[in-house]
Amino acid sequence: MKSRRLYAAAAFGIAALLAVSACSSSGTSGSGSSGGSVTLHLFGADYSTGAGSTSTTTFWNAVATAFHRQHHNITVDVSTVVWTQFPDKVKTLIQNRQYPDILEGNPAPPYAAEGLIYPTSQILSQSVISNLVPKFLNDTDYNGTPYGIPWTTSTRAMCYNKAIFSHAGIASPPTTWAQLKSDAAAVKAKTGEIGFGLPLGPEEAQAESLLWFLGNGGGYLDSSGSYVINSPQNIYTMNWLKSFAASGDTEPGAGTANRTDLWTEFAQGKMGMVNCSPAIVPIIAGNNGSGMTTSDLGVVTIPGRNGPLTKTLGVHDDIVAFKAGGHAAQIKEFLDFAYQDQWQLQFNNLYDLLPATASADQKFAQQHPVFTSYMTNIANSVNYPTKSNWTTVENQIKQTMGQAVTGNPSSVLGGIQQTASTSS
Amino acid sequence: MPDIVTAEPDAGRSQPRRPAGRSAKYRRLRASLAPLPWIGPAIALIALVVIWPVVVMVQTSFQNVSALGITLGSAGLRNYSAVLDNPNLPGILVRTVIWVAAVVGITLFISLGLAQLYNQRFPGRRLTRWAIIAPWAASVLMTALIFRWMLDADHGVVNVFLHDLGIVSSFNSNEADWLGRPDSALAWMIAVAVFVSLPFTTYVLLAGLQTIPAELYEAARVDGASPWQTYRRITLPLLRPAFLIAAVINLMNVFNSFPIIWEMTNGGPGYETSTSTIFMYDLKNTFVGQAAAMSIINFAIVVVIVAAFVRLNRRSLQEAR
Repeated sequence: MKSRRLYAAAAFGIAALLAVSACSSSGTSGSGSSGGSVTLHLFGADYSTGAGSTSTTTFWNAVATAFHRQHHNITVDVSTVVWTQFPDKVKTLIQNRQYPDILEGNPAPPYAAEGLIYPTSQILSQSVISNLVPKFLNDTDYNGTPYGIPWTTSTRAMCYNKAIFSHAGIASPPTTWAQLKSDAAAVKAKTGEIGFGLPLGPEEAQAESLLWFLGNGGGYLDSSGSYVINSPQNIYTMNWLKSFAASGDTEPGAGTANRTDLWTEFAQGKMGMVNCSPAIVPIIAGNNGSGMTTSDLGVVTIPGRNGPLTKTLGVHDDIVAFKAGGHAAQIKEFLDFAYQDQWQLQFNNLYDLLPATASADQKFAQQHPVFTSYMTNIANSVNYPTKSNWTTVENQIKQTMGQAVTGNPSSVLGGIQQTASTSS
Repeated sequence: MPDIVTAEPDAGRSQPRRPAGRSAKYRRLRASLAPLPWIGPAIALIALVVIWPVVVMVQTSFQNVSALGITLGSAGLRNYSAVLDNPNLPGILVRTVIWVAAVVGITLFISLGLAQLYNQRFPGRRLTRWAIIAPWAASVLMTALIFRWMLDADHGVVNVFLHDLGIVSSFNSNEADWLGRPDSALAWMIAVAVFVSLPFTTYVLLAGLQTIPAELYEAARVDGASPWQTYRRITLPLLRPAFLIAAVINLMNVFNSFPIIWEMTNGGPGYETSTSTIFMYDLKNTFVGQAAAMSIINFAIVVVIVAAFVRLNRRSLQEAR
């Protein structure tokens, strides 16, 4: 009996504790709004690329400090997380209803579908909105209304190492898949380095596959906006990549290789070609003389099956603002401030990405003629689908696409299509 | 228990002594609550870090949570049916069985030998006993990371060594990419898991060996038993309790093992090197509810395995007490 009473006492204690912790976890992240002074919470991705690269927290803090000097009643509290952990961290915040006021890095439509975020027009002045690159702004539409603000952008091209190419006796960079394959074989045979870096591992399989799909007239969506991931064009593409990977002229283990690792190897001068964005430049510059130099870097339009891509992949990372804190007016003041050319240029110079506003784009192009080939591509870029289940599909692609080059391409693409058409 | 319960009503039945009975009851209540201040913090801690997360996990497994972490309402049993219908699941379960059986089996086999060795007197025994703790003392994640680097297809020390021996003909080839091929990756990861499991297992078995009385060995020698007979008839039976404890703890540890596979292959390509624990973690990226359901299935599997194991070896485990 004694022990039974003890259990009862213990059970009561546990119940009380659970009640207490249940209360504490249901509160939202209140932004102290007493006495007219407001703290905005900004949560963003960290774009820094390792030693010597400025943390994105430092950048946002500089913006926040400058902003606070003009708006004494608004403080912006900044935290950022490296890209590899960013999706997980954001998911945890959202699931626990600890909404930041401003989130940088994730697409808008899924949040808009749940009614969690403000439409763009409530958090940015019309003059700034009309300065945004229209193509990317449209991508944040949900039911015809934009809900996000593109913050930074980039497009993809193919990088090659000029020194390795001349060593391998290749006169000009490839424009078709067949040329690319024979050039990769030549690099491997004559220099012993990796011919082509094919990152189909979980980090960014969704980008690499799309670049190849586009080369064969495929993609993730058809013209009516439905998923066609296992289209005959895409299956052909993956079969081609499978045989390419099996030839031994790509890096080994293409199905598990990640972009960051391959870009580093490319920068070390251990690879002939890799699909890239301007963000590869600081990695090469960070070599300090060992490996390749920026003058060895050649940039061309990505080869397609029968000729170079007419449209490449354009990526944009967006800002959204959550309603939970109820600070639309303050958010608007901060974002109007942050979207000035000065900050756009500083951010994109730090990480070698491309600005999201037309005026900053112009100045950026004058400062960096080397990026002109990337920037002309923006107007003509293909973006990821903006359907509200894209995050689910994207995760499935990241996890399983690598299996297409080790297993059966058709069944891998079929499995992703299955997820895409059944998940909500 | 029953006789204690029947003793209770007697106290309250004798009418005249009621006030005394009440105070006795009160005193008994106080006495039974007395340990609470001491065990209270432990109970609170367990409630907070063990029971509460389990409650939330069970809740989540019946909810429909979007990939962005937004709870969209109840999912009924759909998370469970989705997990069980996942075409990757059968392969993952088979691989989990192979993983657990191979790691636990090989670990126990090697540890038996090591424990026997460490039970002998030889110069430098103390040093080697210390040395085997190293894989245990080092972070498992770090060990896995070092092995991943050692197996790098371009400049990993294992490949350099095998290349010098002429076994691996060229770097950066599929042949040199041990972790890119599911079968060789699994074999290497089993080796790493065995490596980090050896210290604990060896020490448990060594402790077991030291409890065997020396007289038994002396008697066996007098009776003219061969070393092999002595080992089979005396050492192994008397080591059984320690052996079983090492086996049960390793079974649970290895089944739940996460860092080695996660660090070395991420469970890829696809799910081809995933165990059910890794699979659960991967599901979390997209289907939070399904991941919770998979956690509960994993938990059930561990309970069943361990319960079956304990039941089969009940007698020996009782002897161990």
